[in-house]
Amino acid sequence: MEIEIELTHLPVAEKIFPPTTAGAHGAWVEFRGVVRGDEAGQPIAALEYEAYPEMAGREIRRLLESLAIEHPCLAARVIHRIGTITVGETAIYVGVASQHRGEALALVTKFMNRLKQDVPVWKRRAVPFAAPRPATGTATTDSIRSLDEAIAEIRTRCQPLPPVRVPLEAAPGRVLREPVCAPEDLPAHDRSTRDGYALQADDPAETFQVVDILHAVDWKPRTLKSGEAVRVATGAGLPCGGLRVVMQEDVERNGATIKIIRREAALNLRRRGEDVRAGELLVPAGRRLTAGQLALLAAAGCTQPLVNPRLRIRHFTTGDEIIPPDQVPQPGQVRDSNSSLIRGLLQPYPCDLVQSHIPENFAAAKQLITTLDPQPATFDLLLVSGGASVGEKDFTRPLLEWLGFETVFAQVEVRPGKPLIFGINDRRVAFGLPGNPLSHFVCFHFAVATALARIAGESGPQFLRGRLAAPLTEAANPRETLWPAHLAAADGELRLRPLPWASAGSVTCFAEANALLRVPADCASLGAGTGVDFLPAGGMLGA
Amino acid sequence: MRVLFFAQLKDVTGCDAIELAFPSPLNGEQLWARLAEQFPGLLAHRGNVRLARNWEYSDAQTQFADSDEVALIPPVSGG
Repeated sequence: MEIEIELTHLPVAEKIFPPTTAGAHGAWVEFRGVVRGDEAGQPIAALEYEAYPEMAGREIRRLLESLAIEHPCLAARVIHRIGTITVGETAIYVGVASQHRGEALALVTKFMNRLKQDVPVWKRRAVPFAAPRPATGTATTDSIRSLDEAIAEIRTRCQPLPPVRVPLEAAPGRVLREPVCAPEDLPAHDRSTRDGYALQADDPAETFQVVDILHAVDWKPRTLKSGEAVRVATGAGLPCGGLRVVMQEDVERNGATIKIIRREAALNLRRRGEDVRAGELLVPAGRRLTAGQLALLAAAGCTQPLVNPRLRIRHFTTGDEIIPPDQVPQPGQVRDSNSSLIRGLLQPYPCDLVQSHIPENFAAAKQLITTLDPQPATFDLLLVSGGASVGEKDFTRPLLEWLGFETVFAQVEVRPGKPLIFGINDRRVAFGLPGNPLSHFVCFHFAVATALARIAGESGPQFLRGRLAAPLTEAANPRETLWPAHLAAADGELRLRPLPWASAGSVTCFAEANALLRVPADCASLGAGTGVDFLPAGGMLGA
Repeated sequence: MRVLFFAQLKDVTGCDAIELAFPSPLNGEQLWARLAEQFPGLLAHRGNVRLARNWEYSDAQTQFADSDEVALIPPVSGG
């Protein structure tokens, strides 16, 4: 039985194809276990799964192989998702192909029973569902969320934008919204991998008549008889099946005949369909398209992929103390770094970004916005830097509500970045980001990046596991901390070096920060080598 | 020997892995005794926890050597 097993942080594709069984299967039985909306009678937003991946993969294979003795099947594919999975999403997928349905149905049922006893995967915790509350005008305690709750709520509330078809040139960095399959076998026929002579693989003759010449573009089917050979170039389609190619270095040519000096064991050819068979999955939905995937789509003739639309993003900076970076600050003034930070953080996302500074006065700000954006509904994502706290000049929340946004939450129990506001207006998303640059950096990676992924049709950033490269001390805080760190690979492991930062206004750590490590609440210190969760923050492993 | 902890056992030990060093192989009983010295809270879970050695469940005869990766597997809840 052919077996494919995957443990993944990514969402399970909507459509999954059976592994190839060369047309032998008459049944393809699929089972999906999805996250239910309640756990122990309480409504939940998501479940967090944890696995011992090395052992889980082996255990799944062992179960399938032992069950296949009793229920012979042709192929099985198992995908178990780990990390945070929102309600309604697939946690486990099992697909089994068999000649007739009975064996596959029985195998799937027994496999699921055994999986729940033996495979080291755990539901770690439920993320409780927090019902959206009507806006109340000022931040109250019921608009506070834990970090997990905030992420789960952003995932749940942000809806994918309707997809569009675009030419391949416009597709880099967009999220593929439908699976793309091979339209034909690749390669389309047996091809030579050498410059040489094609002949019947088992023809014992020593001299051959050269009956044709085939270049890489030629397609001239013919059946070769014993004693016949065809001159072929590298990449040329072979004229029939059952051939081998003898390298030109291994023959003596004499006019229209060749004499073979040496026969390699290798056949020197690529088989039809050895790369992929017609109908097999090439790229699943939900992937942000990379250069390699774009090349694959081109090779498959998919020139108008279905992807997310180009995002329209509006960014307002606030704060009367902010001056453009080319000016020299007077006492009390600071140069604007958040505009550059946001522009840089949005680099991986194909988008049109418009940035403006607005005055720190609600009435004046409203007037300016009305002038700048006579039709304010023309963006998908709105970011407002600064003014997110509850000081008398902090008007971001009323501003978002004036623009028609419902405030979903207005604080997150995380440091830095507590006064983060998240608003929804139909499919449009808004964030009020606390003004300090480090808070911006943190809020972008756990909140804005999650929303950007969801509206584009991706699963969103996931915490990964690494180890501390140096001890972390004096970290104790009643809130969880997303601590800036430098991530590097060493000795086959991901190692994180915590970077010093004095306050949310610190900017020097940006020189090296490419990850945010998650420090639990009330955790005074962590020793070097401790396993930690972290979010990649640009640079390594993508944004 | 690297010993891994998963799920609720991480909450008991406060970490996801430790290194243990010892000169000669241990049986399951001796390994539990070593672990309990460091994390007495683990003993409350012993009845439900299976030991895995190098990615396979162990049995009563399994010997755990210094070069092994050992995992404490609490009741699983996948799917």
